[in-house]
Amino acid sequence: MFAKTQRNNLTQGTAVVPKKKDLVRRIIQYKYFYLMFLPVFIFTIVFNYIPMAGIRFAFYKYNPFAPPKFIGWENFKTLLVNPKFIAAFKNTITLSIVNLVLGMLVSIIFALLLNELYNKYFKSFVQTVLYLPHFISWVVTASIFYLILSPTDGFINQILGFFGIEPIYFMIEEKWWTPIYYFINRWKETGWGTIIYLAALSGINPELYEAAVIDGAGRLKQTWYVTIPGIMSTILVVFILNLAKVMNIFESVFVLQNPMVLNVSEVIRTYNYKVGLLQSDYGYSTAVGLFNSVISMVLVIIADKASQKIKGSGIL
Amino acid sequence: MGKPLVKRTLSIFIAIVLALSVAACTKKAEQPAAPEKSEKSEASKEPEKPASIKLMVDGTFITKEAGQDQFVAEYKKMTGVDLIINQPAHNQYYEKVNLAFASQDIPDVLIISGTTMVNYAINGALYDMTDLVDKSPIMQKVGQKYKDAVKINGRLYAFPTQAGNGPITYMRKDWLEKNNLKVPTTYAEYLEVLKVFANDPDQNGKQDTIAFTAPGLVSDDPTTLQNYMVDFYQDASPDFIKKDGKWVDGMLEPEMKAALERMREAYSLGLIDKEIVTNKTSTCRDKFNAGKVGVFTYWAGTWNMNLENELKKAVRDASIVAIPAIKETKYLERVPATMAITSKAANPEGIFKYFFEFMHDGDKGTLLFSHGVEGVHYKVTDGKYEKLPSLQDPKKPANKAFIDNGLQIVPFNDPITPDPRITESLKVFNANSIVSTLLPVSENYTKNSADILTARKETISKIVLGQMTIEEGLAKYEKDTKAITDLILKDFNAAK
Repeated sequence: MFAKTQRNNLTQGTAVVPKKKDLVRRIIQYKYFYLMFLPVFIFTIVFNYIPMAGIRFAFYKYNPFAPPKFIGWENFKTLLVNPKFIAAFKNTITLSIVNLVLGMLVSIIFALLLNELYNKYFKSFVQTVLYLPHFISWVVTASIFYLILSPTDGFINQILGFFGIEPIYFMIEEKWWTPIYYFINRWKETGWGTIIYLAALSGINPELYEAAVIDGAGRLKQTWYVTIPGIMSTILVVFILNLAKVMNIFESVFVLQNPMVLNVSEVIRTYNYKVGLLQSDYGYSTAVGLFNSVISMVLVIIADKASQKIKGSGIL
Repeated sequence: MGKPLVKRTLSIFIAIVLALSVAACTKKAEQPAAPEKSEKSEASKEPEKPASIKLMVDGTFITKEAGQDQFVAEYKKMTGVDLIINQPAHNQYYEKVNLAFASQDIPDVLIISGTTMVNYAINGALYDMTDLVDKSPIMQKVGQKYKDAVKINGRLYAFPTQAGNGPITYMRKDWLEKNNLKVPTTYAEYLEVLKVFANDPDQNGKQDTIAFTAPGLVSDDPTTLQNYMVDFYQDASPDFIKKDGKWVDGMLEPEMKAALERMREAYSLGLIDKEIVTNKTSTCRDKFNAGKVGVFTYWAGTWNMNLENELKKAVRDASIVAIPAIKETKYLERVPATMAITSKAANPEGIFKYFFEFMHDGDKGTLLFSHGVEGVHYKVTDGKYEKLPSLQDPKKPANKAFIDNGLQIVPFNDPITPDPRITESLKVFNANSIVSTLLPVSENYTKNSADILTARKETISKIVLGQMTIEEGLAKYEKDTKAITDLILKDFNAAK
């Protein structure tokens, strides 16, 4: 009723100013919805907002033995002048952004290819095979690739040996470690990443393809002019959501790291784990965490603004 | 008006909740966390028996699956004291300990070792039990070297639970015999053995063996960073060491240069596992158990038996021998594992008597903490003690309860005779090892130990694998770490 009134008012160009009475009336009217929402609201407050009070420890000297002592920006100064932190920051941005872009491209390409499969049994089989690596833990994944890439009896080096190429100790060479990291991430997460795009693809109106065929569009042109624009909103949403997580990479790097490749593999979270948590310097660790969150937030806002400029709408 | 009102109401509510939470946290955090020095009771007084003891332990203590409840019940029966055990996941133990102290959820007693113990002691988190130990006739029976190894500035803030133990070099005995080789006694002989072990020692016509393996070139175990590679490091150490009465950085000593040359040469000759840098301990064990490896420096004692048993599953006729240290070096016994009473404990004297003294009584207490509970972990038939099947894996005998077989530090007439391989390797180890000592107190070291260890690992790995020359590597290490190592050495040398 209220929505109808509002729509009518909007079409007439008048602003709607709900009255206080309306709010109370609406709350009473939709009391069961509010009741259903209450646990979610309480959960969010208790587990998402109250713990945020811990942010203040970024400005404290805080270890397990003494009361926290306020030290202002000292923790941030320490981390921003530390060359190892700066190197870790650069690695985090490089590995994450490249991984994010590659992840989206490969997932979209696989989703488009899967969408073209007509035999539904074969399609299900391929999808299952693609999803499976997502469920393998990072520790096991690392062990599998260490075995495959072993310089002594690894599968890849056996193939290279067949062509007379000397064995390569892939995991300790900086030039190999980074592409291998990207590859392992794609192997593990591509299948999972296709799910959302396949859902978006199924929502494209088939009439658009029929119209494109009538206009003489082939498969590639249909993809370019119908499919990609059809899933563009999903691509942007996924991109912005994933951008919020770029500073959080840890496990995938940690399990593949070794002392020979720290120049390219030390990221903020692995560095923080070593110098912050293991040494129980909670103030410094919190400062690093807060720094991470602020950078993530800035990236998301920039991406959202860019999305608004390009597409006319964002998600925030 | 409705929408802004909702927004405003929500904002005010969130702001109030946040403010309250900040206030609550502030109040909690600002409670005095400084250690309270417990008053010691008169020596003549019998300490009060504690009703319960809150214990924080890692995975080395008997687990629930292995019969912890039965252990606790038996302990209660014998002492009248309840043990309340908090046992986090083994690999997260020290993170959880730190969090327990930060959140003031402090146990009475905890397992604590090495650098962590020093850090906790200097911050006043541990009870100084020196006087109690000195006055205890039971604790006088504990080997002095174990007590000395864990002293900080001459005081005992934690007490050893068992001998430190350490890695010993195991060799494939069947390969030695097959190739008419003797157990090496010098580095030159050791290298000869490795050369044979790298070149079809099992005579199967394939080059499919690894002469020597280790989990990395530098261990993570503080004060014994070289322990898995001791035959190569010999008199060198990548850690801070005391030389001519003064603390120095072992990385920059001439002995280290010679050690790096040895490791680099052995690696280039294919005598050291090509994948040493990415090996984990489990990877090394798997390779050794699969019958691929000739020499592996690993823990003395129970591991001798475990390694040989597993190896025999892959190669039926295989056998191993724990060799005495070669002439140029000694094995390193790590600083003993310890348990401490926290300074927050209400009744440290009672805890000392009913927990620590009981554990080391050389009688029923030591038996309980070593082998567990009669009828659950072992049985006695006609005065003969025998291990029962493990509750977790009935195919194997029950594991230790806490103290390793053969590593008790008090005179103890153990009624359960360990496997001869365990006693033999421990005997060889004890005759060929030196006990490590804790590093002195330094806040600079505590703050930067992870950075320094990373720099050491990186430098040594890159030099040994040939990505840097020894001179380049050490010069870079010195440049990267000098500012902080100078401060640390200043602290160390100023310490009493």
